Amino acid sequence: MNAPLTLAHYMTVAGLLFLIGVFGALTRRNIIGILMSIELMFNAANINLAAFDRFLHPEGVTGQALALFVMTVAAAEIVVGLALLLAIYRGTDTVYAEDFNLLRG
Amino acid sequence: MLDQIVFYSLSVLVLLSALGVVLQRNAVHSSLFLGLSLAGVAGLFASLGADFLFGAQIMVYVSGIAVLVMFVVMLLGRASDLHLRQVNDRWMAALLVCAVASVGLLKIARLSSATVATVAARPGTHDIGRLFLGQWLVPFELISLVLLAALLGAVFFTRTENAS
Amino acid sequence: MIEHAYLIPLIPLAASALMHFGAKEDPHSPAPWIGVVAMAICLGMSLSILSAVASGSVAVPYEHNWPWFSFAASIGGKSFIYDMPVGVLIDGPAAVLLVVVTLVSLMVQIYSIAYMHDDTRYMRYFGFVSFFTASMLGLVVSSNLLVGFMSWELMGLASYLLIGFWFEKDGPTEAQKKAFMTTKLGDSGLYVALLFLFAKVGSFQLTQIHHFYDKGYMPAAAAAAIAIGLLFGAMGKSAQFPLFIWLPDAMEGPTPGSALIHAATMVAAGIFLVSRTYFCFLAAPQVMHAAAWIGCATAFLAAAMALVSYDIKRVLAFSTVSQLGFMMCALGVGGYTAGLFHLTTHAFFKALLFLGAGSVIHSVHTNDLRLMGGLSKKMIVSFFTILAAIAAISGIPFTSGYYSKDMILANIWHSGDRPLFFIMLFTALMTAFYMSRLFILAFWGEARDHEKHHHAHESPFLMTGPLVLLAFLALTSGFMLDRHGLVYKLLPKPTISVMPGEVAREHAPPATLVSATMPAEGGEHAAAPSEAKAEEHAPAHEAAAEHGEHHEGHLPHALHLALPFLVLGSIGFAFFLYKGPDYAAAESLKATFAPVFTVLDRRWYLDDAFDLLVVFCDKVAALAFWIDANVVDRVFVDGWGLLMRIVSEISNLIDALFVDRTVDGFGGLSLDLGVGLRGLVKDGQVQEYLMYVAIAFSLAATLILTR
Repeated sequence: MNAPLTLAHYMTVAGLLFLIGVFGALTRRNIIGILMSIELMFNAANINLAAFDRFLHPEGVTGQALALFVMTVAAAEIVVGLALLLAIYRGTDTVYAEDFNLLRG
Repeated sequence: MLDQIVFYSLSVLVLLSALGVVLQRNAVHSSLFLGLSLAGVAGLFASLGADFLFGAQIMVYVSGIAVLVMFVVMLLGRASDLHLRQVNDRWMAALLVCAVASVGLLKIARLSSATVATVAARPGTHDIGRLFLGQWLVPFELISLVLLAALLGAVFFTRTENAS
Repeated sequence: MIEHAYLIPLIPLAASALMHFGAKEDPHSPAPWIGVVAMAICLGMSLSILSAVASGSVAVPYEHNWPWFSFAASIGGKSFIYDMPVGVLIDGPAAVLLVVVTLVSLMVQIYSIAYMHDDTRYMRYFGFVSFFTASMLGLVVSSNLLVGFMSWELMGLASYLLIGFWFEKDGPTEAQKKAFMTTKLGDSGLYVALLFLFAKVGSFQLTQIHHFYDKGYMPAAAAAAIAIGLLFGAMGKSAQFPLFIWLPDAMEGPTPGSALIHAATMVAAGIFLVSRTYFCFLAAPQVMHAAAWIGCATAFLAAAMALVSYDIKRVLAFSTVSQLGFMMCALGVGGYTAGLFHLTTHAFFKALLFLGAGSVIHSVHTNDLRLMGGLSKKMIVSFFTILAAIAAISGIPFTSGYYSKDMILANIWHSGDRPLFFIMLFTALMTAFYMSRLFILAFWGEARDHEKHHHAHESPFLMTGPLVLLAFLALTSGFMLDRHGLVYKLLPKPTISVMPGEVAREHAPPATLVSATMPAEGGEHAAAPSEAKAEEHAPAHEAAAEHGEHHEGHLPHALHLALPFLVLGSIGFAFFLYKGPDYAAAESLKATFAPVFTVLDRRWYLDDAFDLLVVFCDKVAALAFWIDANVVDRVFVDGWGLLMRIVSEISNLIDALFVDRTVDGFGGLSLDLGVGLRGLVKDGQVQEYLMYVAIAFSLAATLILTR
């Protein structure tokens, strides 16, 4: 508990968060759940970026700026994703991923 | 000592509420846990000294995206079907995949276990502003274009037929 | 104001774009006033520039360039940087032309607001007019021949659009094609000349080209070739013999548009180009002499055609061609000032004539002079303004045409070419004759067609206002410019100090004169002896110039006094022939000389000659096609094809036997593999796919990172 915080601590938390996100994306049946899991993965990446910025390049803010870009892209992604979900829901009356197989080969 | 307490408690909060996001059967609860988890991440940003990221995280994720997700969950009544299984039958395989990946991720994390912060954290908002309106102006403008496109796309997709 | 001269072409261009794209087409739209206001602003700027130039408060030529682009090229092992600036060059002629063009265009636009008021493409017309004017102004101000050439071609496009404005009818479509192709024929010469110039000089900047000529670097043969090319371009644009065939048909467009083409833009461009590149012609005296005779032929042939035409616009078109011949002839004999002076005065009275004719046509709804007559009682303003224009073009003393035409004739007299002088003198008298004929037939005597005469009425103020202003200028501009030798000051003749071939032989001229390398050692050395030589010549030269300035502009006294009486005699002859309602005297004369009249009526068979030329070219092309189809294709192309087919059959056999089998084997293998794998996968499940991605990712991450 008393050991100083290192980059490894943050990377571990980020990695675990990412894996939880992966697990959710793989197992949730609900599309909204998948989207939420993807948000978790984005956040894991952002933690890493901020941590790298703090520990490896404290003289600049490049990592933070990159995290902001990621945040923006994530916002765009979730907005379009939810809009698509609404549109599909209107047509098919379902929100479960296994029912969406219109593109089946 | 305070740093460690803050870090560990935030980490536990983030990870537990993330587990709540993926494991809760009720989608409304899921989305509430998402908000909590994202707020925890914001706390981690603060502990890293990234003040602007902290603010942006609160504003964009916690009060924007999490609320949006909650809206949609409530809009789609069927999203909270409680009598149906919310986890598909591949959860074992997924668990295995995560376990395998965790080996690699924890290994690479351990490589930097000697890296400690050398200088004190300082406010970065000013520098981010300089960076975005200076050297990174073009990517900055491009990302605003992406946001605009996402906005238009969302409007386009959710438009109902009889409205047009 | 002169530093903002670049705005003068840009403002009408913007107005044109605004009128084209700014609003919906509407016959009662107020949008044409945009063009009028834009042109009024340009006129104001042009007037201030002219007054500054005339008062000497700015140094001419004023030049200002902005960098456009530059490129590197290596020639003969040396590399050069070519700079291509874009800029304005305002000298006396350009300043005068600016005022003329903007003034005439302004008058035409104001007039058109009334004239075109019920046309369905009302705004498009004004857009075209502004565009046309903008391209002409671009040519006038440009310091760069490349930009000038672009403006020149845009003007060709604008004339095409304007002549064929009523494209629903066959006449305008044919006329626009004829005009476009004929002028393009001339433009090809100009294009070659420009390429030649750039190859020799290495720059399109007029001042640098002038400098190059001035130092005598240009070889005589190249100078002649360039001058011929430039002359060819001017012949097409300014309707010189034998390329003048397009201009009489160009009147198919709206009449105010014709006024613009005939007075300010299109045809003036050719003369202006010659004057702008006058040093190129000074270096090639033979070409100048040819230009003089081409101008003379044009003037005479066109005047003769005007004698017999009964279409009011056609008479005016022929008279334009004839007057352009006068200008070209003046430039050809070295009367630079006289030619440009006549261009200026001609712009005023010819615009006036066309607008007046438009007013008449607007009122009686016919072009045919035989159906008019007696209009003086109905259209008093048109009558007096056209009278002023006819006095000016005929050369009645103290009108503008009197001064400029007198100066041209004087220049021809002093060139010493007596046949040229007498033909041009006779042509001037013919001018007076056919213009009086037009006037008598349209306005004098009694109405011949009482129906039309009854309906005739004076045009609205928007049409008569420009007429009155132009009439004032047609009467007084000659006197104003001629006073105190102002015209010599404004339109000074350019000089070149060394004729080609005179340059010292031992110092070869540099291959190209490039801005980056211009102050090169060789250039300085080559310049030194030629300058010395120029100084030797200078005193004699200057004395001659001094002498000539007072001398060349004036005819011998007896001729000078006799000329007005000759003109009046010619007018009197016209009155004698065409008096009375059925002009019996003229008809009997026509019967006597029927063959001559037929030739003139058929326009010297030039159209037929061009038609024959086209038919002949068509025949040649057909023959070439026949040879191509029956000899070349059969023997070479088909034979080669046959050979190739045999080879490819063999190749195909090998391909099918060996190569394809292998390929098919691989394809079948992957197909079987795919089908086999597909059985394992439940398709269409996005999370299933995601699972494979995650498996691959986790394995790769673990294997690579923990290695």
